[in-house]
Amino acid sequence: MDKNQILDAVQNIFRDNFDDDTLVITPATSAQDIEDWDSLEQINLLTAMEKKFGIKFKLEDVRNLNNVGDILELIARLSA
Amino acid sequence: MNHYTIDQIHTGMEECFTVTVTPEMMEQFYAITGDCSPIHMDAEYAAGRGYPGRVVYGMLSASLLSTLAGVYLPGEHCLLHQVDSKFTRPVFIGDTLTVVGTVTEVNETFREITIRGEILNQDGKKVVRATIKAGLAQ
Repeated sequence: MDKNQILDAVQNIFRDNFDDDTLVITPATSAQDIEDWDSLEQINLLTAMEKKFGIKFKLEDVRNLNNVGDILELIARLSA
Repeated sequence: MNHYTIDQIHTGMEECFTVTVTPEMMEQFYAITGDCSPIHMDAEYAAGRGYPGRVVYGMLSASLLSTLAGVYLPGEHCLLHQVDSKFTRPVFIGDTLTVVGTVTEVNETFREITIRGEILNQDGKKVVRATIKAGLAQ
């Protein structure tokens, strides 16, 4: 799965989680840009990504995620 | 009260308890919420809509899911994250409800468990189905 495919899949997870089919994310998108992206939604997003990509995050993986780009890089690394 | 930690919880683990709905519980729920819908307050009105008595507030039944998580599974270390509920059958005053929780997922990284919740009446019919996500304190 290349980076664009990962971004598409992650975008679908964001749309599903925030109930917004028009939501468009980029690597620069952060919690500052999405009002409902709080710590609880962060868990929901990341657990949905674990299921989608068949990966398992560790605490040290998710501690310093600042934006969508960081998440995409992490998924690419774990699913490589 | 139970005191399960994340390390002690596994998929398939189950807890349950039983509660009988009383008129006092209906009054107390009304006092808290102010929900004065006649379906809950007026037996004649409820009969006119085809029910044998006042319909118990769906959220009163669902509030037992708070007890399930906070007292039984996981108990003391719980912080409720999310509850999705479906009210599949009406509940009436005097019904005895059995609340059952089964762990379906354990995520140790996020210290969160997912519980399938079911509430059954005295006839064994499901009146509430729910998915509960609960965090566990360290």
